[in-house]
Amino acid sequence: MGHSIAKVCVLGAGTMGAGIAAQVANAGVPVLLLDRTTDGPDRSIIARSALERLGKAEPAAFMSKAAARLVEVGNFDDDLGRVAECDWVIEAIVEKIEAKHALYARLEDVRRAGTAVSSNTSTIPLERLIEGRSEAFAQDFLITHFFNPPRYMRLIEVVSGARSNPDLVAAVSAFADQRLGKSVVACKDRPGFIANRVGTFWLQSAVNAAFDLGLSVEDADAIAGKPMGVPKTGIFGLVDLVGLDLMPYLKASLTASLPKDDPYQAIARDEPLILKMIADGYTGRKGKGGFYRINREAGKVKEAIDLATGTYAKARKPMSIPAVAQKDLRALLALRGKAGAYAWAVLGPTLAYAAALVGEVADDVLAIDTAMKLGYNWKYGPFELIDRIGADEVAQRLEAEGHAVPPMLKLAAGRSFYRVEGGQRQFLGLDGEYHPVTRPEGVLLLEDVKAASKPLLKNGSAALWDIGDGVVCLEFTAKMNALDGEVMTLIAQSIALVQRHYKALVVYNEGSHFSAGANLGQALFALNIAAWGEVEKLVRGGQQAYKALKYAPFPVVAAPFGMALGGGCEIVLNSDAVQAHAETYIGLVECGVGLIPGWGGCGELIQRLSENPRLPKGPMPAVAKAFETISTATVAKSAAQAQEIGFLRPSDGITMNRDRLLADAKARALAMVEGYTPPERPLFRLPGAGGRAALDLAVQDFAAKGLATPYDTVVAGKLAHVLTGGDADMADGVSEAELLALEVEQFMALVRDVRTVARIETMLATGKPLRN
Amino acid sequence: MQIYKAPLRDMRFVLNELHGDDGFGPLPAHEEFTPDLIDAVLEEAAKLCEDVLLPLNRSGDEEGCHWERHADGTTSVRTPEGFKAAYDQFTQSGWNALVTPPEWGGQGLPESLGKMVEEMICATNVSFSLYPGLTNGAICALTAYASDELKAAYLPKMVSGEWSGTMCLTEAHCGTDLGLLRTKADPVGDGSYKVSGAKIFISAGEQDLTSNIIHLVLARLPDAPKGVKGISLFLVPKFLPDAAGEPGARNGVTCTAIEHKMGIKASATCQMQFEDSIGWLVGQPHRGLEAMFTMMNAERVGVGIQGLGIGEAAYQSAVWYARERTQGRSLSGAKAPEKSADPIIVHPDVRRMLMTMRAYNEGCRALSGWVARALDAEKHGPDAETRQRAEDFVALMTPVVKALFTDLGLESASLAVQTYGGHGFIRESGVEQYMRDARIAMIYEGTNGIQALDLVGRKMGAHMGRLLRSFFHPVSAFIEGHAEGPIAPMVKGLGRAFEALQGASALVAQRGLKDPEEAGAAATDYLRLMGLVAMGYCLAKSAGIAAKALAEGSDEKEFYTAKIQTATFFFDRILPQTASLYLAIKAGKGSMMALDEAAF
Repeated sequence: MGHSIAKVCVLGAGTMGAGIAAQVANAGVPVLLLDRTTDGPDRSIIARSALERLGKAEPAAFMSKAAARLVEVGNFDDDLGRVAECDWVIEAIVEKIEAKHALYARLEDVRRAGTAVSSNTSTIPLERLIEGRSEAFAQDFLITHFFNPPRYMRLIEVVSGARSNPDLVAAVSAFADQRLGKSVVACKDRPGFIANRVGTFWLQSAVNAAFDLGLSVEDADAIAGKPMGVPKTGIFGLVDLVGLDLMPYLKASLTASLPKDDPYQAIARDEPLILKMIADGYTGRKGKGGFYRINREAGKVKEAIDLATGTYAKARKPMSIPAVAQKDLRALLALRGKAGAYAWAVLGPTLAYAAALVGEVADDVLAIDTAMKLGYNWKYGPFELIDRIGADEVAQRLEAEGHAVPPMLKLAAGRSFYRVEGGQRQFLGLDGEYHPVTRPEGVLLLEDVKAASKPLLKNGSAALWDIGDGVVCLEFTAKMNALDGEVMTLIAQSIALVQRHYKALVVYNEGSHFSAGANLGQALFALNIAAWGEVEKLVRGGQQAYKALKYAPFPVVAAPFGMALGGGCEIVLNSDAVQAHAETYIGLVECGVGLIPGWGGCGELIQRLSENPRLPKGPMPAVAKAFETISTATVAKSAAQAQEIGFLRPSDGITMNRDRLLADAKARALAMVEGYTPPERPLFRLPGAGGRAALDLAVQDFAAKGLATPYDTVVAGKLAHVLTGGDADMADGVSEAELLALEVEQFMALVRDVRTVARIETMLATGKPLRN
Repeated sequence: MQIYKAPLRDMRFVLNELHGDDGFGPLPAHEEFTPDLIDAVLEEAAKLCEDVLLPLNRSGDEEGCHWERHADGTTSVRTPEGFKAAYDQFTQSGWNALVTPPEWGGQGLPESLGKMVEEMICATNVSFSLYPGLTNGAICALTAYASDELKAAYLPKMVSGEWSGTMCLTEAHCGTDLGLLRTKADPVGDGSYKVSGAKIFISAGEQDLTSNIIHLVLARLPDAPKGVKGISLFLVPKFLPDAAGEPGARNGVTCTAIEHKMGIKASATCQMQFEDSIGWLVGQPHRGLEAMFTMMNAERVGVGIQGLGIGEAAYQSAVWYARERTQGRSLSGAKAPEKSADPIIVHPDVRRMLMTMRAYNEGCRALSGWVARALDAEKHGPDAETRQRAEDFVALMTPVVKALFTDLGLESASLAVQTYGGHGFIRESGVEQYMRDARIAMIYEGTNGIQALDLVGRKMGAHMGRLLRSFFHPVSAFIEGHAEGPIAPMVKGLGRAFEALQGASALVAQRGLKDPEEAGAAATDYLRLMGLVAMGYCLAKSAGIAAKALAEGSDEKEFYTAKIQTATFFFDRILPQTASLYLAIKAGKGSMMALDEAAF
């Protein structure tokens, strides 16, 4: 294609521009971040301040310190010429057409021909943006619409114009996909593209209905929240999060640009209360509060506004939604009274609107579903939602209420938008035919494998799947992907099976997180009934299973993503290689619940760290570092940081796009098959009692400073005992088996302490650690 | 013959030797209750029960209560001959409010002691026990939930026993499922309510022992939501107190009939009609069940004690008969050659019955001592952590004590009848009354089936098993700490039973999460399993203490030797039931639910 992207320039260092620059840097690509020129000694102060803010952003914008160093700042007057160094220029300045036109005019002179130029506009049509530009500029121009925050939101909407060079659009899209990790949804050049077009309609419907039905914000959010598969903030909580002032802005932009007969025009309205709130500074979480606020004078009390009177009162417990309606949309819609009425008022018109937009904003339902899931964090896209309710039911209810039934919905009469045929997921096209859901090259989803085949092995907590080419995938399936005895049993069975019939094993799943660790609830119950033997069996069973994976005669590749904590981290540590998603939050957090790693995590981390060339030689540095990492329950905030800390090896791979993780892990596993030999069993050189004294001293120091609680010091003491090799003499090597035995011994001592039990109980009951 | 001598030595053993502080720490509020003082109280109580209550037990049963309608249309209930005098003596010597805090005029004695006294009262006259028993339950609820005005107006006279209390829950169409109840309460406007409705099975609803009767009535307010969340609790006196606080105008409360029952015939079980009766709200609107359950939970342990009391009385009556009655010769040769036959106590099967009763009683008494210790620690424990642990333990053990003790109480009564042979079936023997009196305890205050459901459904899963910890951890530590030594064989058996209990707990919790019917199917067996392990723990601990006392040359050789022998019998002959219970639990609900309903 000839369009390789080795350096990027971002114009505009506002929230979006800076965030995009950070994500480009996270991909390991150097980036130039420019903004307006200021008078004074530092003419680039705007971009420089933005970079400083990025470094402190919460959640973090950069995945590593190295990434932060890839961003260079400058200003439009001194540095615009350096655009010539870049292969892609992303414009993210103010949403004013004149300003953009002026900047593009200057770009014409400095950019290399063939350098892609894209705008991050969320409202201005592409054809208007390129008014007055050269043919060459128009060919290199497109819209790339990121979502906030750019590191974490997976959606990017790409709009190409009539004259855009398809190769260049493909190159930018591929870069966004593979390097920036975004899911690219191609949109038509229509106002609001897909996600904001549907999303604004949805928010407006929901706000209107709450006012019209006289519903409290607490009740509205309880209904139009989790039960609908949208973030649990619900509608008003979400508006608080994005800012109340965004609503009138989006409304003005969409009402101005959409045709007069667009259904949105009929529902767009400004609530006087909301306008007043904005005027008074109640713009949401960024302001004095919004529909909800924290009243600090009353002692951090969460308050909610009364939509009728505009006064705040202590947030009430919302109406209870019956359990069945929490899970079943039909039951939710069938609820009597305001709850069911509200659910329909939010969903019905929104789903109809989405159906009417197929063909208008995108070619198919798939694009709209993907955009809403990745851009608004919906669990299900609009058409998946219709399938859950039933296309006929939705159509009938719309008709009964005198609404038009969109043709796309009529097309689905008597069937669904999605189906699985011959193990292949298909979607309903505008032509009324089903078409296969195809994945881009290099994307392999377990979801598809599962639709097309039966598991090789399966029990209550794990399953094993054949993902082709002689590779199997070990999937955790329990709630939160918790690990228990059943997982260990399945691992043992898997090893026997792979040895006979397959080449390699990948540990991967498609839950919200890789694994939050051992099933603590089960463990706590066992501890409460003093079933120490069962707990010890679980610890030993986990060690055996993990070590069996490590020394199996075939390669094992772990593919973590999201949280990989405790036992979830340990299976990664025991794998022969790792292919991690960039957004992997990995750590040994056992100390937080009064435990130490018990499934081989102690030895594995020491080994990783002792192989780290940056640490001084000798037994102590690696042990001290492992001690620090584990005793403080350090969790890496990205895969890159996990490499810095030592959970991942320098040789382990990182995949930016979540959808590409399994394919990458599989490729890595296959590459290891030829001539594979299991690792040799390590012999640890550990510092023994002498080293332990140093660690104990450090803990005492922490305790004296009030940084460690009394029980922290007990737990840290047990950890130090294991990491230093117990009563080992420095001259003796400590075998892996001996170290594992130490883990069991100290772990079992801790579980018998009621303070550990209290920590586990508090963690499970409140989600927060107990500092006892 | 109804024989009863309060088992004071065993009671003192439980109070002073067995439990120590049971890990609940010292109770400063009870420091003044020295062993000497405790002995004095126990001895006085024993005298009252043996001399006053026991003689009224059979006569009360034969005579029953009398419901009378008077010329003016009012009705009343007359208790059997002698009850009024006994009640007066009982209250005048301060026995009514033994454990109530002194601020309301109570004696403030520890529950640990109070439960022993309760056992004696129940052993000698369970019908009588209900009159002060209900009053004490009502005192608990009022102390916890009533307004200060209500407390001041009612508590002193209830604590002294001058007035009594009742709990009015059941209606003709609802007992276990209180969500269905219909009695209503309309606000009058002056803070009082008019309560209307009909209640049944109201113990002591009407009687001639006290000058006023204070009914605690569950009813619905006009705006009440449906189900159990719409029930409120009201205080409705028989006589409205006048300005001086004395019984004044008659309230619209009428006893329309009393029930003709299988047992506890001297206890008046009343049908009550409330017609625009004036009453006052106790606690929050719609939160009545919560308040009632405070009363109910206290009562449930009390009902368990009824089972234990009857079990002890049955045992003593059986022992007396087994010594008196001569039939046949010992299988190992004549033991009383001077007589025409040996006393039946020589026969192994009679021994089996007597030892079983004895082991049950000693095991239950030891366990109730532990629970009572927790009842005290719950209120007076040294710190929040201890009080919480005590509360957890009480909550966990309440259904076990209620169901286990009452099941075993009936079994003991039945074994006593069996010991008497044909004579046991004859009224004059007195032991058949124990069977009839014991039977109700398995039903009221929540049937034993409901207790089992409470245990597996509520208590087991609460806080991911935290309540279980208050029991399992001490038992586990005991087993680990006594693997060697004189009671090692018992501890080995206890260990096996404990493992079965752990296995069953994990199984029931796991299966119950997926299918609540599985928990329901396991419930009764599980409760028994836990109860047997709890008794086993208490008896093994007792045996250990006895062995130590003997080794130290105690001069009470007979008492301690018997302690060890009784415990050994329990471990040999009763605790092994845990294995079969575990097997039954493992079988699951399958065959229990399989038969088609139409095929029954």
